[in-house]
Amino acid sequence: MSMRSKSPWILHYNTGGCNGCDIEILAALGPKYDIERFGMLNRGNPKQSDILLVTGPVTLKCKNVLRRLYLEMPEPKVVVAMGACTHGGGVFRHLYHVENGVNGIVPVDVWIPGCTPRIEAIIDGLIEGVEIWKGKTKEKEYLVGHGDDLLKKIGAIDD
Amino acid sequence: METLIVLSIVLPILAGFMMLFAKNDAVTYILSCLMLPLLSGMGFMIYTADLPIYINTPDIVNTFIIMFDFGLLAYFLWLGYQRKSLLVGLLAVVQFILLIIVVYMAPVSGTANIYVDKLTAMMYLLVGIVGVPIAIFAAKYMDYAEEDKHKFVGIVVGFLGVMNFAVSVNNIEWFFAVFETTTLASVILIGFRGDKEAVDNSTLALWMNQIGGVAILLSLILMIKDMGVYHFTDLLALDKENITMAAIGFLSIAALVKGAQLPFHKWLLGAMVAPTPVSAILHSATMVKIAPFLLLRLSPIIEGTLLSKMLILTTGFVFVVAAIFALTQDNLKKILAYSTISLLGLMMVAAAVGTPTAVAVSIVLIVFHGFAKGFLFVEAGVLEKLYNAKYIKDMNMLLTKAPLTMLFIFFAFLNMTFIPFGTFIGKWLMIEEASGFLSSGSFVLLILLVTTGGVFLSVLYIKVLGVAIKHHRFSTFDFTPMPKTFLFVGVWYYMWLLVITIFIAPFIANFIGEIAAPIAGKAPIYADGLSLVIGKSTLYFWQIAGALVLLLLIHAAPLFVKFKKVDKMHPYNCGEIYTRQAESYDFDFITKYEKRINSFAITLFLLVLILGGQLL
Amino acid sequence: MMAILFTLFAPIIGGFMYGIERVVKARMQSRIGPPLLQPFYDFVKLMEKRPMMVHSFHAFMGIVFFISTWFAMAVLMLGNDLLIAVFFHIISILALTIGAFSVRSSYSIMGAMRELIHLVSYEPVIILVVVAFYLVTGSFDYRMILSADTIPLLKLPLVFIALVGTIPMLLHKSPFDIAEAHQEIIGGPDIEYSGPFYEAVYTGRWIEYVYVFFLVFLFGGSNYFVGGLLVVFTFLLIMAIDNSTARLDYRKMLKFAWFILIPLAIVNIFFLALGGNS
Repeated sequence: MSMRSKSPWILHYNTGGCNGCDIEILAALGPKYDIERFGMLNRGNPKQSDILLVTGPVTLKCKNVLRRLYLEMPEPKVVVAMGACTHGGGVFRHLYHVENGVNGIVPVDVWIPGCTPRIEAIIDGLIEGVEIWKGKTKEKEYLVGHGDDLLKKIGAIDD
Repeated sequence: METLIVLSIVLPILAGFMMLFAKNDAVTYILSCLMLPLLSGMGFMIYTADLPIYINTPDIVNTFIIMFDFGLLAYFLWLGYQRKSLLVGLLAVVQFILLIIVVYMAPVSGTANIYVDKLTAMMYLLVGIVGVPIAIFAAKYMDYAEEDKHKFVGIVVGFLGVMNFAVSVNNIEWFFAVFETTTLASVILIGFRGDKEAVDNSTLALWMNQIGGVAILLSLILMIKDMGVYHFTDLLALDKENITMAAIGFLSIAALVKGAQLPFHKWLLGAMVAPTPVSAILHSATMVKIAPFLLLRLSPIIEGTLLSKMLILTTGFVFVVAAIFALTQDNLKKILAYSTISLLGLMMVAAAVGTPTAVAVSIVLIVFHGFAKGFLFVEAGVLEKLYNAKYIKDMNMLLTKAPLTMLFIFFAFLNMTFIPFGTFIGKWLMIEEASGFLSSGSFVLLILLVTTGGVFLSVLYIKVLGVAIKHHRFSTFDFTPMPKTFLFVGVWYYMWLLVITIFIAPFIANFIGEIAAPIAGKAPIYADGLSLVIGKSTLYFWQIAGALVLLLLIHAAPLFVKFKKVDKMHPYNCGEIYTRQAESYDFDFITKYEKRINSFAITLFLLVLILGGQLL
Repeated sequence: MMAILFTLFAPIIGGFMYGIERVVKARMQSRIGPPLLQPFYDFVKLMEKRPMMVHSFHAFMGIVFFISTWFAMAVLMLGNDLLIAVFFHIISILALTIGAFSVRSSYSIMGAMRELIHLVSYEPVIILVVVAFYLVTGSFDYRMILSADTIPLLKLPLVFIALVGTIPMLLHKSPFDIAEAHQEIIGGPDIEYSGPFYEAVYTGRWIEYVYVFFLVFLFGGSNYFVGGLLVVFTFLLIMAIDNSTARLDYRKMLKFAWFILIPLAIVNIFFLALGGNS
């Protein structure tokens, strides 16, 4: 179990934020902070990732994409929501085109506060996520509001 | 034994005529099925007999064949007139004149006109085992919306007899006659459907093959003038210094034309307009195999000369280029035709190298290519008739509808290039053999050509297989039985290929080695149990078995591998919902260079004649 | 005996090489990088994931890729002909590409086609390398090459350069990581594998490391020290190139392989063969 926690692979998805968070994530990969120390890799492929790192307020277009990406990740997996936007929309809150954060879409395990979060906070949040991830099993996890209707709507049942 | 030999030539021709005139389903079926045990059995008996056998024929036969020749040329002339093709007519006239000269010049010779050695016996076997099932297949194939079934099957079966005759003649004059007869047969078969495209393509095949006929006649004239012989065995018995290379050069040109080497490849591609069994019969056991056969007959003379090197370059070049051209095609039959041209190039490379191992390689390739190509074309015919699929993109979703056919196609494609099948062994032995002669520049090029051609062929086959297997869901398979004839032919080829591959070491070392030995001496290939040993290198049986198991797993996996407990998930598509359809590369940019490559091929062709034939 | 052990432990050796690679790469970028055993942590993690697949055939092809790569390694170590081992490598490519073709994902299919272009680029060079070994030592058997009195590198410098040029293509390293192309086609042929099935492909790639660097090692001949040095040097060079170059497109790769690497190898073989006989 402990060996597993040394290799969390990250899927980073920006749901329509200002890219400030993404820049910070890139900085976290760089020499100064270097999250590869913890075995973290930015895979960009949901099928091989363990941590879904979401940024942005979730625009309406992104909503189902985020759901499908979440479904494509095999368990055990954790969701880390990063930045004020994901918490409730941030500066985009109550705009006509946003979902006001990820809370109603995927089950979130760790929240990283800040706009943008400091890199130390990101690392802290990811490590926290890994701690939660350690306790999880292969058991299936579901979307918020899971049901056949939802799966059909997002087209995940077909294949 | 003589009776058997004559029978294996005459019997198919007779059977063909019987089908032609009986026009009865039962007769056609029974006769074509009867040919299978008869021809392969006789072939086997001849093979096991004490070879070589010389048969002296009465003079009347000789006269008859010369008369037949003139008749044939007259018919070609008439065809040229009828189809308004100046080229055909002109070539027929030229051949007419040359033939008169040859007949006039030819001295009386006591040498036997029929000469059957192990190589010939092997070709009999190949015709029996690979060729006859195609005739059986054709009998069923022609039921699907085609006309003149009996005529067609009759010609196909008769063609097998002509092929048997072609590989057993010793007299080159006679060889010219059978060469022209095969041309005639291919013209009839290619033009069988009678529409404009078919007729045009058959005319193309006619004049291209006639160039080969002219080359043979020129070579005959030179041969008779300079050396006074016109038999293969007499030619081989001569001292190397006394041989006019120009004569051999012309004969090689005839082989290159018959073998559809660039720039004369268009006629074989044109054959695809005919019913599919025609392609099967032309590509597998007969017709184009005359080309490597002829070079194998000549290889002791060619070996080590400049002609050999020029032939290596030309045919090696074709091996690569035809494989590259095949990448641009999307018609299954065209892809197969190009790969035949390419592999014929490899066979002729091997025959031109002429060392014991190389000769064995050539024979191995003839056998395996015959099996695999016959198989592939038969299955292409099944796809065409039962599932209406002519292009590889039509094969996309076919695995669910035609699992068995696709399985067969998959297996045959694997046979064309992968370890441990025969074609791979050919490539491998060729590279090993060429490594021993690196001090000669042409052999370094030979290695490069064999390697790159092989790689391009692998890429081609993987691409075709990939396109065939694309976009599947592999959920349900429809095992509706196909007609028994189709199934029988498929299983027949499959089993043969499988069994030979398992016993490939004894097969190559004993069977092929025995055939190659009289031509170029004993090759250093022997079987250690089921492992193949060549020189210092060994292809162990565990390697053969392992590769075979892996490949069988790969090709049969879609049908039986089911992970029950694993959840299914849709493919990653950036999280989007609409399904994307991706096509594979079509390599269209290659067509840009086609003209340039063709002109280069023509240059090489002329160089074979001028440098190789020492015309300078 | 050594050969059998080496074959059996090939995935582990390859895993260590991959671990070292990640550390070295990180240090080159003045990062600390992951621990040395990182690939094995990944291995354990992937085993513990819930298995998921697109369809059975695709998942099975991942496993066949692993098996056939390992088998090619066994052929290389236990057989006595390098040439056969090179040809065996194509079977694993077949499994990988056929698997990649079989799913309805454009990235996967594009990756498979690019993988085939890779094959066209490196295969001729690798065979020329093997033939060059034959020229120097008179054998296709690696044991004979390893006990030859000469150091093949001294006679085959250009061939060695050609081999070094193809290693990025074989191992999918920048600038020729065209088939894998992370962030462009997200791993190409690997993209649809997940969990234990991806682990098979992942481990198969480790074996390829051993396979490739064994060829480099052969250039030292009987002098194992030189061989080891060559492996280390090549390894570092490849890492440095990987870190400092951007991805090219497949045309450039093809041109580089066909118009630079192959002529290099040919020239070397040509002059060696001519010189050897006069």
